[in-house]
Amino acid sequence: MASEPQRGSREAYDYAEVRNRSDQQSLRLRRVSSRVSNHNYPENDLRPTPAEENEEGDSGPPRELKTIPLPMALKRAVRQAQEMHVPVVSRRQAWRRRKSLHKLKEKARECLHFFTLWRKSLQKIGGNFGGGVESYFLFLRFLVVLNFVSSLLIAGFVLIPSIVFRSVGGSAVNGTGPDECTVYDPNPQGLDLFYNYFLNLLSGTGFMEYSYLFYGYYNNTTVEDRNFSYNIPLAYLFTAVFYFVFCLICIIARMGTAAQVAVATGGGAVGNYSVILFTNWDYGCQGDQATKLKQKNILYRLQVDLEEESRKKKTAALTLGQKLILYSLRVFMFLVSLGLIVAACYGIFKATNFSQIKSGVKGILGLVYEYLPSIVITIANFLVPLLGDQIARVERYSPSNTVIVALLRAVFLRLVSLAVLLFTLWRQITCEGNIESPNCKLCHYNYNDHPCWETRVGQEMYKLTLFDFLVNFALLFLAEFPRRMVVDNWSSKLAQWVGRQEFVVPANVLGLVYGQTVVWTGALFCPLLPLINTIKFILLFYFKKTTLFYNCRPALRTFRSTYSTVVFLVVLLFGWGLATVVMVYSLAQISPSRGCGPFRFFPSMWSIVPTSFYRLSETTQDFLFFIGSQSFSIPLFALSCVVMCYFVALASVYGKSVALLRAQLKLEGRDKQFLVKQIEELSRHQILKHTAGAYE
Amino acid sequence: MGTTASQLGKDLLSEYQELTFLTKQEILLAYKRFSELLSKDEKYVLNERVPMDRILTLPELKSNPFRKRICYVLSTSDSTNGSLTFEDFLDLLTAFSDSATMEIKSHYAFCIFDFDDDGTLDCGDLEKLVNCLTGETDETKLTAEEMRQLISNILEESDIDKDGTVNLSEFQHVISRSPDFVRVHVY
Repeated sequence: MASEPQRGSREAYDYAEVRNRSDQQSLRLRRVSSRVSNHNYPENDLRPTPAEENEEGDSGPPRELKTIPLPMALKRAVRQAQEMHVPVVSRRQAWRRRKSLHKLKEKARECLHFFTLWRKSLQKIGGNFGGGVESYFLFLRFLVVLNFVSSLLIAGFVLIPSIVFRSVGGSAVNGTGPDECTVYDPNPQGLDLFYNYFLNLLSGTGFMEYSYLFYGYYNNTTVEDRNFSYNIPLAYLFTAVFYFVFCLICIIARMGTAAQVAVATGGGAVGNYSVILFTNWDYGCQGDQATKLKQKNILYRLQVDLEEESRKKKTAALTLGQKLILYSLRVFMFLVSLGLIVAACYGIFKATNFSQIKSGVKGILGLVYEYLPSIVITIANFLVPLLGDQIARVERYSPSNTVIVALLRAVFLRLVSLAVLLFTLWRQITCEGNIESPNCKLCHYNYNDHPCWETRVGQEMYKLTLFDFLVNFALLFLAEFPRRMVVDNWSSKLAQWVGRQEFVVPANVLGLVYGQTVVWTGALFCPLLPLINTIKFILLFYFKKTTLFYNCRPALRTFRSTYSTVVFLVVLLFGWGLATVVMVYSLAQISPSRGCGPFRFFPSMWSIVPTSFYRLSETTQDFLFFIGSQSFSIPLFALSCVVMCYFVALASVYGKSVALLRAQLKLEGRDKQFLVKQIEELSRHQILKHTAGAYE
Repeated sequence: MGTTASQLGKDLLSEYQELTFLTKQEILLAYKRFSELLSKDEKYVLNERVPMDRILTLPELKSNPFRKRICYVLSTSDSTNGSLTFEDFLDLLTAFSDSATMEIKSHYAFCIFDFDDDGTLDCGDLEKLVNCLTGETDETKLTAEEMRQLISNILEESDIDKDGTVNLSEFQHVISRSPDFVRVHVY
């Protein structure tokens, strides 16, 4: 009969449909639902599957409606079906509770959404310039928030108590030691012209020196009431230490989320073409120009990757002689770049020394001498990466490696130049580490040149921060706007070849890391520096955004945005490490100034902790001793080893199960092909049988 | 449903919030933008269908190389003319919103890339996809040799069951390795 073969094929159709239920069914739904009437609603697909029902005993709707890829009308139908599926009263209550909790979460998320800083600007930047540039601005926003919270911390624990208790309270320890060391007179004599006022503002001297800005103004006050006591030196120390720990925790937390993403995607090696093709289109692109740019971007990336692949095949086939030449060239270039960095450091060293010698000069020339280290650092940071780019071109690494190598070199240069500056300062303050030398013998630090050395270091950091900001500002008006005007209005070949400026992300990020490292180094000596830095970074955001939209053309060579977050944070950690070394050394080794600051009568800054420690109650002391003793720390160490082993084992098990599932997928595909073939054979068999039967 | 509405009712709004990933402000903004596309007499009928060419005047879609495919995939009209109602429009926005799950995004991405609507991505689909991504003009296309190399690389990477096409599960597997799609949900 005619209907039978149809039924056979209909059965086959049903079977195939059931087999591909989860993917094909929902795909067909979208097209089928518009053409067919109600009876095609796939009820068996939308009811909770038996497995899910068994797992969640008395739960409500097991699958969120939002995550079902169906048109709105069908989602409504699903919801009605699910609502009818909650018969038992207790189930209904639990379901209602879940719903209200859910609504609360939604409201909280909406509120948080509203308060996110600069959300619209970041979206606009990302849509027009891509993920790499957006990651720079996200990093900048993170630093703004970090600095703001830290300045609140410092203000709350150090600044406000200092202001409040300035007149009240006595000093904790009375002074011992030679009297000459305690003389400190920062207030300038004579008239203050506006000119001098401005110079003082820029260099942190004069009226600015003896103020809440710098360490020297804070006093050794301790307030002790009946049930309230506040020890300002101790608060100062602990706030500084906690500030560093807090920043470390924030950076690691943020790096954790970014690294999770990086690990889950299993390495973005070159040649990951499917990922590029399927996920790279940015649907947030607006406008013809942005779209064309994105297309050019993708084309460029595909061509580069394909070329790199064929180049890899070629290099694998290089002869021994050619390889030898390439490697010796790379070693030579490495030595050249190292030499450049050493030369830059020597220049900074000389400049700092020269600036110290000439520190008494007044006027504009004096200002130039004061800013000489910053000027030399900025010039070095500008020239050496340029030369580094040329060097990298000779070395012929693959494009992705070139970017990483250039970034590492530039980071190294910036941090080493800062370290050299600090080293020269240290030499002057501690007479090259030799306490017995004539200048330092009396007060254990170079009293003649630096009556209040902490303020001096704070001033240097303040000057570096300000100068960095001024340079950025000046570049904006003197280099970037004019360049754009020249390129736009002067149509010569030279102008076209130079072209509009490109927003180079790595160089800008290094600027941020450098600025933040300076702030960290100086926070111990200049407590208001995080606040100044917050304002500086906020202004920098608006400046950079302006220059991005008016002067820059988007980069053709993109910097991968996921790895960039992790790389920026790692580089920031280097800076943090440098600042921590400086802080630990200042706290433990160098003796504080006798004439100023909250630690003026202590042999070292850290020594206030043991002194206050012995004033605590007996039980607290015993408890703290116990925590530091071996009977506590060794079991703790053993426990953390066990926990770590557990996580490592877990990770390896997950990796193995991923590989297993992949193999299973392959087998499923083969199963499917085999079964489809069987069905076809069977149905063909049936048709033959029935046509044969029909003819009988 | 089916009544005249020049403004979204509260019930409807909360229903949309439940069924999509959009926040209340986003739904209202979407309603405003959508009603700008309607002519005056169409404004008072809910579930009015807007033809595709008017949808494509939206600045967000105007230059998108996948604009026509997006409209076709998300349309629930009986004829395949790519027209969208307001609810289809909301479905479009939710699929592209930041908070949509990977499942939704990958499902719709797969439908959009499946140019011949056969449920899998074969060589023809992949070639059209590459051309869409790099631009249709001659100077922005890859050469034939590069295209061949690229497609063979893609199939080698993503086609797990080696049937010469990429189906939805293989597609989702590839996507899950992409950093932009991996989301750390804090629930």
